[in-house]
Amino acid sequence: MRKRGTPPNRALRARRPPEISPPVRSLPLAFSLSSDRSMASISGTVTATSVRPRLTSRAPVVKGFSGLKSVSFSIQRNGFPSVRLQAAPRQRRFQVSCAQAKPETVQKVCEIVKKQLALSDDTPVSGESKFSTLGADSLDTVEIVMGLEEAFGISVEEESAQSITTVQDAADLIEKLVEAKSS
Amino acid sequence: MLPLHSNSLARRPFASPLPLPPASLPSPRETHIWYVVPDELKDASLLYQYMELLSPCERQSVLRMNGERLQKGALLARALVRTTLARYTDGRLSPKSFKFQKNRFGKPEVEWDKYDLWAPPPLQFNISHTSTMIACGVTLDLPIGIDIEEKQRKTSNNILSLAHRYFSPVEVAYLKTLADPECRQSEFIRLWTLKEAYVKALGRGFSGTPFKDFTIRLEASNSKQVTGELKSDAPSIVVEAVDDPGILMNRWQFALFELNNSHYTAVCMERDVKNPADGENNSLKLEVWRTLPFVEDECVTETDAVKNIIR
Repeated sequence: MRKRGTPPNRALRARRPPEISPPVRSLPLAFSLSSDRSMASISGTVTATSVRPRLTSRAPVVKGFSGLKSVSFSIQRNGFPSVRLQAAPRQRRFQVSCAQAKPETVQKVCEIVKKQLALSDDTPVSGESKFSTLGADSLDTVEIVMGLEEAFGISVEEESAQSITTVQDAADLIEKLVEAKSS
Repeated sequence: MLPLHSNSLARRPFASPLPLPPASLPSPRETHIWYVVPDELKDASLLYQYMELLSPCERQSVLRMNGERLQKGALLARALVRTTLARYTDGRLSPKSFKFQKNRFGKPEVEWDKYDLWAPPPLQFNISHTSTMIACGVTLDLPIGIDIEEKQRKTSNNILSLAHRYFSPVEVAYLKTLADPECRQSEFIRLWTLKEAYVKALGRGFSGTPFKDFTIRLEASNSKQVTGELKSDAPSIVVEAVDDPGILMNRWQFALFELNNSHYTAVCMERDVKNPADGENNSLKLEVWRTLPFVEDECVTETDAVKNIIR
């Protein structure tokens, strides 16, 4: 029996579950809502990219030590089969990359990216540019990685390649690999 | 309400947005595909209408895209997803009302509200786009992945270099058998779309399903698969783990075809085991519409716009 005051059309009155805030916000995930070219930002499923020391309040920061350490942040979800992350053990851990790539490296990466995506010279591309917002799909991204390998004489492992979402990520990874190679 | 399910062109003069014609739900082995060609959108005010459908978060994402062309593409992609899904709710849900979430691996899916007297259909979807087309695939309660690629797509790197790097040994060997470079190019692209579609159907992202770990190929006819059913005469597309060759992952079925004469399209869908196939026709069924939401829908399934289908 309908109570007085109940809206007549109950059929479409949604029952909303209590708001559950997601444990992680604003971290690049494997898929982005904006575009299917989400595959281009082929980050590991919950792997944060390198975090610069001057952060907004979005993600907690722990100062790291000397030497390059890439940021990894893993979430254990209910014993689910593990998703392959970039060298991240299954525990919460924050490490901050303390060193950033040289501007020349970033510049070179920008050039290669622009060439692969056939962007005009006046298209603004910087360290913060995300591959997906530049219109790179997954094939573009692997081609960019191969172009970078050729240009810098390095070899990028697939797992590392998947964590690259911005030009800065690529530049940082390149310098890390170049340094490792020459040491 | 009568479902709009005919082959005829249904064009509405553009005045104000009319309700989307409702569509019948996909059947158990069906994938419905709705695609939009961005260049067909000439009316800028339509873009404002589409923008109205998006959540604030989606709008921001669209505006973050680099340049007008990419923004338009991103906007159309969201509008396509929302309008497509709305069609299957028999007029009860508007495109604007949909909410989306990500599964545990980050794959976008619909976040359904609970209603008291109506159960929304358990639709699953996936989208793919290039600069010249955006496609949305929909199934009823079955994981799906779709990938499209321009037929004319050229790679900067040599095909075999790319293949050696990213494809499985069986796939590389196959590409090597193709002497003609153009043939090799197109087969590479087609194989790429199949592999992408599979990864997207699984929904674990590129990292969860590395390209190198699985092979997609044609399985000759007259072979019995794990289910014990005899396949039809035509060879079929199968997937197997590189570590476990010969054990076909029968759970997944594929379709590969050409769309609009411009794009190779691959669809991967989980096989429906709840509704076992009657007789031999076990393969993935397709229904395809070309659309410009609120303006025009055209069912192109039996036309030249969908051809060279391999399943």
